[in-house]
Amino acid sequence: MSRVTLLGIRHHGPGSARMVVAALDALRPKVVLVEGPPEADPLVAHLAGLTPPVALLLHDEAAPETAAFWPFAAFSPEWQALRWAAAHGVPARFADLPASVTLAEPDGPRPRAAIDPLGLLAEAAGFDDPERWWEDVVEQHREADPLGLAGAVAEAMTALREEFADEIDDRTLRREAAMRQAVRQACRDTDGPVAVVCGAWHVPALAHLPPASADAALVRGLPRRRVSGTWVPWSHGRLARDSGAAGYGAGVAAPGWYAHLWDSAAARAAAARGNDTATRDGDNGDTAARDGDAATHDGDTAAHDGNAAARNDDAAAHSDDAATHDGNTAAPGNGTAAHGNGAPRNGSLAAGDDTVPRWFARACQLLRAEDLPVSTASAVDAVRLADALAALRGRPSPGLAEVTDAALAVLCGGDELPLRLVHERLVVGEQLGTVGPDVPQSPLAADLVATQRRLRLRADTGTRQLRLDLRRDNDRARGTLLRRLRVLDVPWGRPEDVARLGTFAEAWQVRWDPGFAVAVAAAARHGSTVASAAERVLGRRAAGAARVAEAADVLGEAVNCELPGAVAAARAALDRCAAAATDTVELLGALPALAGTVRYGSVRDTDPELLRTALHGLLARGAVGLPLACRGIDDAAAERLLAALDGAHEAAGLAADPAHQAVWRQALARVLDAPNAHGLPAGRATRLLWEALVLDADAVAARLRRAVTAGAGTGASAFVAGFLRGSAALLAEDPQLFGLVDGWLTGLSAREFADTLPLLRRAVAEFSTAERRMLGERVGAAGGPEGAGPAWDEGRAARLAAEVRRLLATAGSTGGGRG
Amino acid sequence: MTIDGIGVLRAPAEQQYAAELAALAAADDRPRPPNWRLSPQAVVTYVLGGTLPDGTVLAPKYVGDRRLVEIAVATLVTDRALLLVGVPGTAKSWLSEHLAAAVSGDSTLMVQGTAGTSEESVRYGWNYARLIAEGPSEAALVPSPVLRAMRTGAVARVEELTRMPAEVQDSFITILSEKALPVPELGQQVQAVPGFTVIATANDRDRGVNQMSSALARRFNTVVLPPPATEDAEVAIVSARAAQLGRALELPAEPPALDEVRRVVRIFRELRNGSTVDGRTQLKRPSGSLSTAEAISVVTGGMALAAHFGDGRIGADELAAGLAGAVVRDRVSDDAAWREYLETVVRERAEWRDLYQACRDVPTGGA
Ligand SMILES: Nc1ncnc2c1ncn2[C@@H]1O[C@H](COP(=O)(O)OP(=O)(O)OP(=O)(O)O)[C@@H](O)[C@H]1O
Ligand SMILES: [Mg+2]
Repeated sequence: MSRVTLLGIRHHGPGSARMVVAALDALRPKVVLVEGPPEADPLVAHLAGLTPPVALLLHDEAAPETAAFWPFAAFSPEWQALRWAAAHGVPARFADLPASVTLAEPDGPRPRAAIDPLGLLAEAAGFDDPERWWEDVVEQHREADPLGLAGAVAEAMTALREEFADEIDDRTLRREAAMRQAVRQACRDTDGPVAVVCGAWHVPALAHLPPASADAALVRGLPRRRVSGTWVPWSHGRLARDSGAAGYGAGVAAPGWYAHLWDSAAARAAAARGNDTATRDGDNGDTAARDGDAATHDGDTAAHDGNAAARNDDAAAHSDDAATHDGNTAAPGNGTAAHGNGAPRNGSLAAGDDTVPRWFARACQLLRAEDLPVSTASAVDAVRLADALAALRGRPSPGLAEVTDAALAVLCGGDELPLRLVHERLVVGEQLGTVGPDVPQSPLAADLVATQRRLRLRADTGTRQLRLDLRRDNDRARGTLLRRLRVLDVPWGRPEDVARLGTFAEAWQVRWDPGFAVAVAAAARHGSTVASAAERVLGRRAAGAARVAEAADVLGEAVNCELPGAVAAARAALDRCAAAATDTVELLGALPALAGTVRYGSVRDTDPELLRTALHGLLARGAVGLPLACRGIDDAAAERLLAALDGAHEAAGLAADPAHQAVWRQALARVLDAPNAHGLPAGRATRLLWEALVLDADAVAARLRRAVTAGAGTGASAFVAGFLRGSAALLAEDPQLFGLVDGWLTGLSAREFADTLPLLRRAVAEFSTAERRMLGERVGAAGGPEGAGPAWDEGRAARLAAEVRRLLATAGSTGGGRG
Repeated sequence: MTIDGIGVLRAPAEQQYAAELAALAAADDRPRPPNWRLSPQAVVTYVLGGTLPDGTVLAPKYVGDRRLVEIAVATLVTDRALLLVGVPGTAKSWLSEHLAAAVSGDSTLMVQGTAGTSEESVRYGWNYARLIAEGPSEAALVPSPVLRAMRTGAVARVEELTRMPAEVQDSFITILSEKALPVPELGQQVQAVPGFTVIATANDRDRGVNQMSSALARRFNTVVLPPPATEDAEVAIVSARAAQLGRALELPAEPPALDEVRRVVRIFRELRNGSTVDGRTQLKRPSGSLSTAEAISVVTGGMALAAHFGDGRIGADELAAGLAGAVVRDRVSDDAAWREYLETVVRERAEWRDLYQACRDVPTGGA
């Protein structure tokens, strides 16, 4: 058993990655085993063509949507182990249950243990950033001896597994049996040392090999399927997104921070080895280019491997290194006493470790690029605050919590908004991995490439306009592909406003972003072709839709994507949601989108009648609820209702049959009669009915007058606003409407007119300046309607002048009195 | 706001909590920054409350995120100035006072910012009788609280910084960056003693009125104090503070029943958010800030009523007047909002019938 060395790691922990590289350097194993699905063994050969972050994608050949990802970042110990093996010409193999088993599990693939045992130890020691605990506490004591460190991890895990014995389920036991089988096989294959890189949690289970027959019994009879897979590009963003989900392997909440820790430690180690100048420069370049360019990571690692060969020469330097570290060890050793002095330890500013200053320098650059005022002085203050916080919390150096708190208080002025930027761009980061051309593609990606070729649609990274004529098959298929890809989170094309182009034309703006490769990779779990994946995603969204608008959206997308299965699912969802909906605004709100779908449906090969029936159903339900929905609502609710009412009216005109249009008009008429209906919808209903020739001018004028006289107060002005809102152009151009309003106004008595004036002012105030000018010109052009002309009233003018004089006089006298 | 009214009855925090501070200091074996009365850790414990090894129980002063208090204390450790901002009634002044009391043992070195705050009250003034008799001299100088804090290495407090005229605000720039204050009349410069720093508070709603210059803003670490995140947290704050205040006022009333406090807090939160807890009903928002501080004064006001005119137990009748007073700040619009809330929400809650009756009977002066 001594031939086998178990390196227990924290998945995606840069500290563990350092330990693994150092231990492998010391051990020089002949075989490296890495926790992971054995079906991926052939894929290790492609390592040279990969730039992390990347992920293994394995899928069931019979059902490609049954798939799982195993992501790797540059700082993942598993990745470093694979790289070490490749660089030293040693075989690397995966050890775990086959993916064929995990993919078949009822609750989906969960390739890794949910428990983070080293994180638990860190937490117990009072650290909420496990990687800083590793650096400050574990490595400070052990760095000189990675194998001793691995041994200490094993010991700790043995104790921890006893404490958490009930976390060890059958599944874990089966997985560990499979790992032991792989260890046995490796020992048969070589006489030399074997290294096993696995989650720390499993180390105690692999420390002793029971009879092979016992393990064979544990894994016997497990489901078998044909599994194939490939490497796909990944991103820091995806890594972070997966950190919450149990499904696709443990992710990391802060990949950007971990990458920063990994790079900083590598730079430190390189500096300690004496190639200051060379690596320092390299490191600076790395920071400058980090966000854009993933390749520099490899540069770092290569330098690292290169140094490994020279290790013996560096023995002296190494002991120097150990000495300085001993100097530091006093700090965490005395723990809080040393740091409780309130005065910061100056740790972050100490020579040699620029992890924290460099972090804030990057944060400042980022914020400055967004035009937020942060100076270099602020970066210094942030470092000091982070140090003070770490001291206050009894931690030897600032962790993610401390740098985040300091960024908030010093760089962001307490404002969460810029902090979110720091989180997205720095803590998570935007690093993208790449996969070389020789690496096989996922079925979905292959389908996409084939479709692109067939449709002659190249994936250019420049922005391009695309005009499509939907009567041509190739163009129609292009539009459909772009839409299906949008469903799969690949916004290669952005649809432009199509209204003015007519039914058969579409305009797109297309731009391929290398980051889309990640979304394409992720979409591979939904299906083996773009069509089947999009259909599945839409089907799921339809099934999950809770509101009418959602279902209508899905229906629209399904029709546009020409996916009949999804259309049927969305249609069913729409019925279900409409039946459950009690909110009229919600029902009416879905109509415009649906009307659009009805109009374009014919072009898209969907039976228009099917869609029209859906629209009629919604319209009828909305019409029933409308009068009630207008009653007893506040202004904000009335605004929402008005928007929904307008949209529904237009939709009805556009896509409903005459019978249903009549139903809608009846609903509007009932709004007029509804007691205490809000003025806004009531005014609007009045105008729409006048436009529809249901009400004549006299009836409208009567209603206007009644509204104004009956409800002195806000109701009246709402009615006038509802009637006139958005009609400036109409008013100026349509002699009928103009005449109607004109007639109403001139028909008012002088008193009524005076009462109405403020309401009118308020309604007209909603028009833009240009609209008001246009209206003014229109009124002027009409030569002023008779009777309403501004006749000069001498008596009134005299009274007014007297009043003004009186006012001026009093103001003058009080002013004089004060002086 | 109303709490401030009883401020005259209230001793500064370092006197009120002298016993706690003494016990903490005795048990505190961690290093203290120069001129600090306690270690930073002990300051955090004082503010957030806890139990000492000898069994002394420390009352929580600020109820909220530990992280924020740690940022504030760590800021003071680095002798950076601290700016507490937030909407009204989020304990900015309260936290500032307790931090100053714990760090320096003196929370009274305070400048109140108003539109009329002069530079003298930030820097120094003169005793003119002496100035004329003796000429400029140390004895004729009247130091501002800030100058006294600089000399003793203490925390100076600035309340409502953004209400001061901009040029007065800017006199802090030199003080904070140079940690020195020139007195040209005496041809000398006062150097701040270690331990000197500034805690300023500013109201969110004032931002933009007399907005700080960026040069000044850069000299502060900023901590935003949020309103209580949940109803439970707010209930805890209100009932704890009301009970404390009741004791301080020696009200012969029982501490308020949790259910009553919860009703007040719910009403405040619903009106503040403009919708009911279940999210079903949209509400008009009154113009007032309806802060936690005001919820506290509604409850303490109710306790006073109960003590002097009732059976000592707080109930719907005792709360009604205070509630209407806190909500209705603008006669017309707020009254409409309050009436609407009473009719559409309070009335519908069966277990709130008593409150509905009581509130309906309170005149609010609206139409
Ligand atoms: N989170 C809280 N913890 C403890 N007390 C609180 C909290 N929030 C509010 N209070 C209480 O509210 C009262 C008023 O707080 P304070 O006067 O400090 O508010 P402020 O933020 O300074 O308001 P303003 O902006 O109006 O000056 C205090 O009695 C305080 O105890
Ligand atoms: Mg205050």
